Order: sequence, then structure tokens, then C-alpha cells
Amino acid sequence: MNETKYIGRTARSKEGPRHVTGRGRFADDFVMPGMLHAVILRSPHAHARIVNVDAAAARAAPGVFAVITPAEVQQKSRPFKPGRYAAGLKKPIPEYATAIDKARYVGEPIGALAARSRGAAEDALELIAVEYDPLPAVVDTAAAVRPTAPLLFDELGSNLAWKGSLRYGDIEGAFKQADKIVKEKLKIHRYSSTPLEPLACIASFDAASKKLTVWVNAQVPEVIYDALREALGLEDIRVIIPDIGGGFGQKIHLIRKYVVLVSLLAMESERPVKWIEDRSEHMMAAGHSCAQEFDVEAAVKKDGTVLGLKFTEIDDVGGSVSTLTIHFTNKLNNLSNTYKVKNIYLEGHSVVTNKCPVIPNRGIGKPGMCFIWERIMDRIAAELGLSPVEVRFTNLVQPGEMPYTTPSGNVYDSGDYPGLLKRALEKIEYEKLREEQRRERERGRLLGIGVVIGVEPGGRNASRDMAIFPEMKESPGSGGVNGATIKLEKNGTLTLFLGSPNCGQSHETTTAQVAADILGIEPEQISTSTPFDSDLAPWGVAAANSGNNFHLYDIGAVHGAATKLREKVLALAAHVLNAKTQELTIEGGVVQAAGSPIKKITFADLGKIAYGNQAMMPKGFEAGLQATFYYTFPHGEPNLVPSPEGLVRAQFTFSAGAHVAVVEVERDTGKVHVLRYLIVGDNGAVINPDVVNGQIYGSAAHGISVALGEGFVYNSDGQLLTLTLTDYGKSSTMETPRIEAEHRPAPSPFTVLGQKAAGEGAAIPSPAAIASAVEDALRPLGVKVRELPLSPEAVWKLIEQGKG
Amino acid sequence: MKQSICVKINGRVYEDEVEPRQLLSFFLRETIGLTGTHVGCVIGECGACSVLLDGRLVKSCLLFAVQADKREIVTIEGLADDGRLHPIQEAFVQRYGLQCGYCTPGMVLAAHYLLGRNPDPTEEEIRKALAGNLCMCTGYMQIVDAVKEAAKKVNR
Ligand code: FES
Ligand code: FES
Repeated sequence: MNETKYIGRTARSKEGPRHVTGRGRFADDFVMPGMLHAVILRSPHAHARIVNVDAAAARAAPGVFAVITPAEVQQKSRPFKPGRYAAGLKKPIPEYATAIDKARYVGEPIGALAARSRGAAEDALELIAVEYDPLPAVVDTAAAVRPTAPLLFDELGSNLAWKGSLRYGDIEGAFKQADKIVKEKLKIHRYSSTPLEPLACIASFDAASKKLTVWVNAQVPEVIYDALREALGLEDIRVIIPDIGGGFGQKIHLIRKYVVLVSLLAMESERPVKWIEDRSEHMMAAGHSCAQEFDVEAAVKKDGTVLGLKFTEIDDVGGSVSTLTIHFTNKLNNLSNTYKVKNIYLEGHSVVTNKCPVIPNRGIGKPGMCFIWERIMDRIAAELGLSPVEVRFTNLVQPGEMPYTTPSGNVYDSGDYPGLLKRALEKIEYEKLREEQRRERERGRLLGIGVVIGVEPGGRNASRDMAIFPEMKESPGSGGVNGATIKLEKNGTLTLFLGSPNCGQSHETTTAQVAADILGIEPEQISTSTPFDSDLAPWGVAAANSGNNFHLYDIGAVHGAATKLREKVLALAAHVLNAKTQELTIEGGVVQAAGSPIKKITFADLGKIAYGNQAMMPKGFEAGLQATFYYTFPHGEPNLVPSPEGLVRAQFTFSAGAHVAVVEVERDTGKVHVLRYLIVGDNGAVINPDVVNGQIYGSAAHGISVALGEGFVYNSDGQLLTLTLTDYGKSSTMETPRIEAEHRPAPSPFTVLGQKAAGEGAAIPSPAAIASAVEDALRPLGVKVRELPLSPEAVWKLIEQGKG
Repeated sequence: MKQSICVKINGRVYEDEVEPRQLLSFFLRETIGLTGTHVGCVIGECGACSVLLDGRLVKSCLLFAVQADKREIVTIEGLADDGRLHPIQEAFVQRYGLQCGYCTPGMVLAAHYLLGRNPDPTEEEIRKALAGNLCMCTGYMQIVDAVKEAAKKVNR
């Protein structure tokens, strides 16, 4: 590569101009000739048998072209294949796009209908008569596992749908050697990321050729592709993914149900059909992150060294089994956090309840794992009379130990955790702040400081799950693959075909910066082909806005494709210029030979030759100037597949961040004000600082909002009470603090540019940071923070408890 | 029964027949074809559908199309001049005041409305002015910074 001109600096955003002018292209912006509009019939009950569905009147209503009821879903489609997260189930449970004989959560799809306008469709939906036999709802995990509890799935014989455990090291030995056992019970609530654009899909079916095309705002093309094949038995499927108005995990999984339903309507009506979810539908049925309860025990030495960690997790997974273990399995990804503990035992319980199914959400189980570590670290400090910061320093993996293998087999590529923590304390002026806190406490102010640290893993390795479900029959695959194609056009510009869709992470800008540096051209000369189109894109399993995949697979693929193309460009130029490739340099889209200023050729002239002038090409040269590269992580071993002891790489790169939150609690109302929020982060070599900062700010803001109260609330009948963004408690500009971010990168030795992940990022440690700071603020009252969210109501209760 | 309305949108006059129940946001998107007006909630919570109606910032999902009769609307598509970005748009691009872009049209128009009344706002004033526009991606940092930058550009 020429020395970098674009990598490592900000660049003009490629996505920005279309979005600021209203020219972004989102799924709802597409219109097809003859297009119909779909609406979904949903269960008003949390738990009910579906006795009968009579759609005759709806079918006869004006403008209605197609109606799908559970009977038709069963007749015309097949259940989805049980995914890898359901691998531990005793019996496979078939799951269709709608409920078939029983509804298990409010909002569960029961059917769908397509009509000429959305208004006509909504009117006709009222005409479908569903006879329900309501059953008692199961809304909390403790009640759900009582022997007398009503069952969600009769086949399972219990609402405890799965239970499993893993152990690493000598956990009994650790607890025997301990000076002290520190115990705590913790809880995280249900929340989501509520992307501003709801789910959206258009399906169009060509009956003559049996080709199904869908335009959908899905984060992972593979999920849609596989779902359509499994459910509809079709092979010729084209998935087009236009601009996505935010994802964060919400648009990975349950969206497949709607794509299948809309496709069934399109097949039935022989018309393109569009479906746009509305906000309340999104809140009740598009998926929630999992409420998790933890019973934690740490075996510690007097000096704060953690010898072992044990925890039991109870997950409230809602009314589906297809994702029932995701929050537990993800604990393997950051199981050790930044600490060098050798012995760990974890046990998971997945309990089905009459609530919305759980889905991936910015970090999935990782914020929970970080919460376990960082809460218990504070508890250890308090019980041993040490400073919370000191206890962390005592246990951190040291920079000299990198690459560091954790007890569960993760390999931390690089990082200076003590350095991050030290810098954060320096920057926030920790000692001065403590001094100020002492003074202000005397005056009655409730000021608190929370200091936490966390890793942020990146990349994917599905074979992780085989460590958790040894009974798994079929391998879920291992590692990840994604591709990129780059083409030098005959006018000398470049077109990039990415393997992944993009939901706001500036893929077009960042990849153009990388390709520009490798090829010696300005990023302005590179355009990215949008929307993502599965017929054209070189995509693999890692083509996903998920798992923090982009930095590893997409950057790796673009790097590889651009390098390959560069070689081709040089080979052709060397022939034309009668020079050796080693003598050539490229700058500004011009290939220059050493020695003579006139021995040069432009990309445009090379393009003309490569696509139209055979006589000028060297012998054996493949015509055209295009290169495709599929990237897979070359350092996947060891532990790419689980060893007999269950050692496995859950992810491949490890960013990290130290967070400091400074808060003030209002004594009378319980309201928490975040006065400062600082992150000192290591995201490896940064390609575009503005883009990475954006990911840090956004993920921190989400984690803070989650900690301070955004979340879902159900009543005892299983009715969701938070159907709007206001009720849900989404933070606006007024509640969201300014976030200070500083980079202290430790480049990864394993990636093409030293890059690491940034995306899930600050959403992982920030809930723990807020919890720590609020507990510290309430210290004069002697109360403990064990649960999120810390809404004003919850904090007020803690204050009252402290007074009493 | 459809009703006829006459609305000036981004300087051009449109005469149309609309259903009385049609919301202004859908009229702009579907009848007029200006899809930069986004819809995130349809109940006035998110601001994605913001437009300027007779110069005032409104949420177009809270109005019926018939309420725009004989009035003037500016949507996000009406800000750029012959492909040249408005300074506020330019500031959002330069400062990465967006990620997925879904809230962006509403944010830009809210900033436009603010700067029209207060060309030199403080951070607090910017945050207040944008409080009716939710963004799920950015944590607002770079949006607020973009508005500050825009103020500089507009005042220049
Ligand atoms: S769509 Fe109008 S405010 Fe949300
Ligand atoms: S940029 Fe995605 S909602 Fe604001």
C-alpha cells in the first residue's frame, strides 16, 4: 500500500448528502406497479387457544386480494428450521410465521391480509373473526417454573425450556482457597433499541419463473434467505436491502416471520405487497432484549484477587423457543471481561413466558456479563474495604500478557487495560473528584462516581454453540466469511460491491477510504453499489449488521479485493508502459513508472484497454479490471471449534473501554442526572475517527438511557403497558448527556489494518457504569443497587429504603 | 368523499383530491412523492415527519392533508438549491450529524427552524429545540455539534 492518505482520518461522508436531502432510499420509499398493502392480524391476548378463525367477510371486502389465516399458513408454508439457539431443546418445537393453535404473547401474528390501500386493509382486518379461548398468562419466571403454572408449550412439559452449564478451570478449588466469598443477586430488565424506522418489507413473486424478490430492511440477508427457503420451499430468492433506518439487532430475527407472511400474500394475490410495521406493533412484537437475573458468587483473596466466579442466570425469554438461549450463549463472548480469573462456572436457565420473544440487541448477553463483573467488583471492594478502582487494577490482564487466552478459550488480541483505566482516572481527575464528593456530601448532595471497564468483542464464530450444546447434531458452521468486489470502470472510476447491508455505520465511507489508499485514488472516485442485492453481492455468512462483523470481514474483504485489483492494474500498466511492476507507483488514479515522467497511464486509459482493446493486453491476462475477495479470519485457530474441554473462541477481536460516570441523584424525586460521562477506549487502529466516535456516542447513549429507565413493562395479564416511545421512556436530547471519548488504540496484530470492532461498544459497559455511580451517590444512605433500570421511581424507592 | 386541496410545496403548487382521513405525512410521501418526510411513530412522538408549514415546524403525522389547503409547505427536498446543499445540510454532512439517516430530514428542518429564530443558539437552546426529534443512533452528540457548525455557517 502507498502510505495512508485516507485511512485513519475523517473523510467526507458518502452517505450524508443523500440523507440530508431526503434522498435516502428506505424500504417504504419503493413503490411497485399494482402494489398492495398488507396489515397483520395480531393476538390481543397474552395466552390463548385459537379456536377458530373466520376470514370469509374479510375476503369479500372491497379491495381485498388475499387473506392468510393460521390454517393457510400451515398448509402453504413449512415451519422454520430450529435454529442453533434452540439446539438444546429436548424436543424440537415447530415455529411457523404465525401462531397456529395458540397465541403466546400480545401482538403475536395470527394472520395477514393485503388490499389495495392501507386504509382498506385496516378496515377489512376488523372483519376477521377470531374465537379465542383465553388462558392464564405466565409473566414472571419464578411463577412460570412452579409445577402448577400453565404451560406455554405442552410438548416441553415445563416452562423451564432449557438448562445447561459450563465450567472452566477448578472452580471448587478456587472457592476452597478463598479468603472470602462475595455474593450478590442482580437483575437487568427488558428493553430494546427501538430503531426509528420500523420493520418494512415488499415482496414480489413471479409465478412463471418461481422467483421471489423481497425488499426488506433486514440486518442479516442470510436469515431472510434461509427463512424463505425453509418456509416456502423456494430456491430462486433475491433479497434486496435498501437503506436501513437503524438496526441494533432488532431487524435480525423476528422480521423473518413478516417476510414470509408478506411473501405468502404476494404469491396468493400475484401482486407485489408492501408491509410497514407501526410503532405499537414494533413495541409489542418485534422483539425485546432479555430480562436476566443473576445469582453471583466470587471467591476472593484478601487483596481483592478474584480466584473464581460462579453465576446462575435465569432468562425470561418470552413466548418463543427460537432464540431462547441467545443471552446465555453470548456470555461466553466476554466471560472473563478484562480480568485474569482462571476458574469460572456458569449455569443458564431459559424460562418461556407470555411476553414478546427475545432477540439480539446491541451486545445481546454481553451487557449482562459486564454488569455481573462490574457489580461484583464494587461489592468485593466494599466487603474488603478496598477502593473499587484498586480491586479492578489487581485483576486486570496485563499488556505484556497479550495475546491472552482466557479460561474459556477466547484469545484477546491486544490491549492495555491498566493504561485505559489509568488514563480515564487521570482525565476525569479522580482524586479531585472524590475530594469534591466528600465536601458536597457534607452539604447533603448525593454525588456518585462509577468507574468500570469492559471488553467489546468482534467477529463471529457459531461453533461456539457446540461448547454449550454438546448434543448438537449438525455443526452450525465456524468462523465467518464475507466478500467484496471492486471494479475499475472503463472511465477510470471505481465501483465497490460490498457483501453487507448498512444500517447507519458508514460502510460506504469507510470502505472507500480503505480502497482509495490501496489503489491510489481519491475516495470521491469510488462509488458503492446500493442497495445490497443478494443476486449481485459477494456475501457470506458474516454479511451481517450483527456480531460486530464489519471491521473484520468487510474491511478484510475490501482490503483483499482492492489489493488483488491493484495487482491486476499494475500488471496491465507494466505491459503497456513496458516497465516492471516493481517500478510502478499509483497516485491520483495514474500509474507512473520510475525514471521517466512521461511513462505513465491513467486508470481511464487502462479501463479502455481492459474492456476493449485485446491487442494491448499481456498474454494470459484475464480481460476486465475486477476483483472479488472473500475474507475469512486467518488467525481463527486455536479453538475455532470447541476442544473437548469446551475451549472456544466466541469472537475474534477485543476492543475495550474504561468508563467513568459522574451522577447526581435528586433526593426528593429519585431522578438521576449524569453530570459527566467519559470513555477512554481502544477500538484498535481507527479507520475514520468521526465514524467510530459516532458508534461510541450512540451506543453509550443507549446504555445510559437503558440504565436510567427506558424499558418494557407488562402487567400481570401479560399486556404490554409501554406501547409508545414516550411510555417506553426513550431519551431525547434533554436527557442524553454529552459523552467525552478519548482513543488509546492498541492495534490488533491479527487484522489487516490493526482494526477492531466499534458498534455494540459502549452499550456493553455503560449500564454497569451508571449502576455503579448511582450506588456510590446513595452510599450515605447505605443502600445497594442490584437491579436495572434506575428510573426515578426505582431510585426514589431505594432512597426511602435508606431512610427507613 | 374526496376533497380537493391546493398546496404549495417547495415552491410548486399542487392541486389534488384527497381522502379526508389522509394524513399530511402520507400525502407528501405517497401522493406528492416526496419520501424524505419519514414516519417513525404516526403519533407525534418522534419528529421524523417534521416539515415547515407556513414557516413553522410541524409534525406532519399530526395533521390531515386537508389542513394544508391553501398553505405553504417546505419539506427536506426543498432546502437544497440546485443540488447545492443548504449550509445546515452541509454542516450535518461535515460533522457526521447522522448515522442511519432516518431522523435526519426532521433534524435538519428542526435546526433550520431554530436558526431562523435564533441564529446563535447555546448548546442548551439547541437541545431544547431538538427535543421533539428522536434519534436512536447518534446519542445526539454529532447532531448538536452539526447545529453549532451550521450556526457558524449561516452567520458567515
Ligand atoms: S411520525 Fe410524526 S412524529 Fe413520529
Ligand atoms: S441517525 Fe438513525 S435515527 Fe438518527
